[in-house]
Amino acid sequence: MTDATTEVKVTAASDIEVDREALDRSIHDFVGPSGDYYVNAFHKIHDATSGIPNTFNIWAAILGPFWSASRAIWGMFWTFLILEIIAWVQIGRGAWGNPGADLAERAERQQARANELLERAAAATEKADIDRFNKLAANIQKAADSSFEKAAAAQSEALGIMVTGLLMLLVFKLVQGFYADRVYEKQYSNWRIDPRSTESGRSTRNTVLGAVLVAAIGPLIVYKFTVNASLPLLDAFPEQEVSAMILGEGNGTLFSSLASWMEAQIDAAAAAGGDVFDGIVAGVRSVLDALTVALIGSPWPVVMLVICVTAWRAAGPRVAIFTASSLAYIALLGYWDVAMETVALVGAAVLLCVVFGIPLGIWFGKSKRAYRAAEPVLDLMQTLPAFVYLIPIIAFFGTGNPPGILATIIFGMPPVIRLTALGMRGVPDSIKEAAVAFGASKWQLLKDVEIPLALPSIMTGVNQTILMCLSMVVIISLIGGGGLGKEILEALQYAAKGPGLLGGFAILFLAMVMDRIVQGAFRREDEKL
Amino acid sequence: MTETVVKLTDVWKIFGARAEEAMEAVRNEGIGKPEVLERFNCVVGVQGASFEVPRGEIFCIMGLSGSGKSTLVRHVNRLIEPTAGKIEILGQDVSKISEAELRRIRAMQIGMVFQHIALMPHRSVRDNVAYPLEIRKVSKSKRWAVSDHALGLVDLTGYEDRLPKELSGGMQQRVGIARALASDPEILLMDEPFSALDPLIRLQLQDQFKALVAQLQKTTLFITHDLDEAIRIGHRIAIMKDGVIVQIGTPEDIVMNPADDYVREFVQGISKLKLVKAHSIMEPIESYSGPTDGAPRADEGADLDQLIDLAVNTDLPVIITDAGADVGVVTKPRLLRGIQGGKND
Repeated sequence: MTDATTEVKVTAASDIEVDREALDRSIHDFVGPSGDYYVNAFHKIHDATSGIPNTFNIWAAILGPFWSASRAIWGMFWTFLILEIIAWVQIGRGAWGNPGADLAERAERQQARANELLERAAAATEKADIDRFNKLAANIQKAADSSFEKAAAAQSEALGIMVTGLLMLLVFKLVQGFYADRVYEKQYSNWRIDPRSTESGRSTRNTVLGAVLVAAIGPLIVYKFTVNASLPLLDAFPEQEVSAMILGEGNGTLFSSLASWMEAQIDAAAAAGGDVFDGIVAGVRSVLDALTVALIGSPWPVVMLVICVTAWRAAGPRVAIFTASSLAYIALLGYWDVAMETVALVGAAVLLCVVFGIPLGIWFGKSKRAYRAAEPVLDLMQTLPAFVYLIPIIAFFGTGNPPGILATIIFGMPPVIRLTALGMRGVPDSIKEAAVAFGASKWQLLKDVEIPLALPSIMTGVNQTILMCLSMVVIISLIGGGGLGKEILEALQYAAKGPGLLGGFAILFLAMVMDRIVQGAFRREDEKL
Repeated sequence: MTETVVKLTDVWKIFGARAEEAMEAVRNEGIGKPEVLERFNCVVGVQGASFEVPRGEIFCIMGLSGSGKSTLVRHVNRLIEPTAGKIEILGQDVSKISEAELRRIRAMQIGMVFQHIALMPHRSVRDNVAYPLEIRKVSKSKRWAVSDHALGLVDLTGYEDRLPKELSGGMQQRVGIARALASDPEILLMDEPFSALDPLIRLQLQDQFKALVAQLQKTTLFITHDLDEAIRIGHRIAIMKDGVIVQIGTPEDIVMNPADDYVREFVQGISKLKLVKAHSIMEPIESYSGPTDGAPRADEGADLDQLIDLAVNTDLPVIITDAGADVGVVTKPRLLRGIQGGKND
């Protein structure tokens, strides 16, 4: 097996010599100018056996951020730019700032007032006046003295601040000097792995960029913190002046004109699409009404019994007992009707989420392009605070329960879409291929293979959606949604602690019952696989 | 002559967005695989494959991973569309038929077994086996009867109502075979069916499979990366390398006359004792001039193992007969060379 070409000379690890030539060439390639210095430094670092730095880069210490910028070590650049600016701010405050200035001024004023009072005392003829002025003058003199003292203390503190700043600067410089080569060696290692996206050498562009950044940031910061009365331009963004520049004097701000423009647009859209929006509301309302009739219209013992039996069948006796006691709590405290309204609201929202979300999820699972397009929208639906889209929902759909359901759908639909898509993508290609090889059509593939195999993921999505929808119950009461949320909102408005807590527990129990029943049902499904 | 069941004529497969252009360039300029990759960013999967498989034959396609064997076999049921070439099943050109007709052929005439077994985890063993029939909307009672019969063929009676995960790997693959047999197809496509199994189970299943196919007379395309398996199972073997079929022949052919160094390297380690027959190492009786009196006789179909048994007891060569008539002799040197793999002096 061992012929001449494949023979490898075996050497004991301790006898292996470090081959420096190839390494040196590559270091030169990476470093560019002043390569010999870095070859030497990198060797020292490579030979080091402890973490204590054994090289000192004098130029990195002196030039600081300019050096790291010129070598394109941007992490080090930003860190030490900020640290050095902090040090410079201290130095500036000590050297040019005048921390005792206002105190000294006040002391002067108080001294003048005391002198004035003494003069008046001298000028006074009546004994009572003389005493009064003298007393006042003595008091103010005391205040003036204390102010003088404080001013002097502040002045002497300035020196301390400046020394601290100098010390900080020195420490930062030393740290940069000691660690510059180590950091640069790390960059070299990265460059070896990925030479295309790791910058190497010393470029004029980076040096200039670093210098510009330092010049733009450093002086402004130091100025702002050292001078007592800084330019108003630097304190707040001049939005009114800019607005005036763009829109002309006296035409309001950018904000007000943009806001009124958007308001007009939304009103116009709401008016133009009125029929469509009314149709959507009517559709949602019909779903809600059907559920409401079933839950509130039916005699309460029937509804209670059905829920308990469902809990028992789906999730076992323990959940059934928990469900029965939760329902008893709700009924005994007089929450039955509002609780059922909440269940109807959540149920309608979940139903609509599932009916539209699962087909969308299937589509996104199959088409990468569609998913990529939908992803930002889904992110937006989940991250946008609910209060933000309540306003357009009122504009388009009015107030009440159906718009509340629409708001709930916006928040609750993403999980079922995402997890359906995830489940669809997770179906093994081999099983899909097998089904196709046995002649399955697209529909048969979907019905027999993809949906059954994606089902656990889809069910997780439905469960998530139910919980998300429940969490919107209180928020939608802000736009006229009913149910338990409304009770909580009223309690909140009057700071009624008792009713608020009782209602809150009712929602909590409702959520737990729904979660337990649904999870129990899915767990039984899962166990089959 | 028996009927040809599967026939591929100059089938090409080029993967990539510009496959058509690349095919054009290959046709006109004769560029090779690396150039296609460089110029068109396309990968050549199969290059001009042609073969015919008669009814009842087990045709092995052997090659290492990446040699295009799985790609090639997926052309037969058009899981992969060919870039160029013609594929006929029972005389019908499958590249011209409609979607619906293609699905009918897949469901009725082609059974496939996969390396990764690919059973549906949520269906019972019986329903898995019955799936090809379910696709064709066969009634449930018929489906169940057929699937129970197919499971009987692979010795899995009694496991019908189990879920696949309850079965061992070897049993699962037998379910896979039963599923392929369920619709009583003409053709079986076996895509490395046994390579994920441990060696003992593999040997067992190979024998079982060979017997089953002989009994049912199925035309089989059997993919494997294991030459031993190909020799054990195949009537004929095609060896593939980089998308090209390098050699097609019987196991003996391939072992005795490798087409090139690549094949030679493959067959080096294969034992020839049971493979090489007398007729391929004998010299004609006319050209032999030594003594033959009292020499042992063997049929021309005898293998090396049998010849050695005869030759150890005598100094004389073995005389080879065909239908009773002496046709050739095998001398000791020839016998030894034969064991080595037919190296000529």
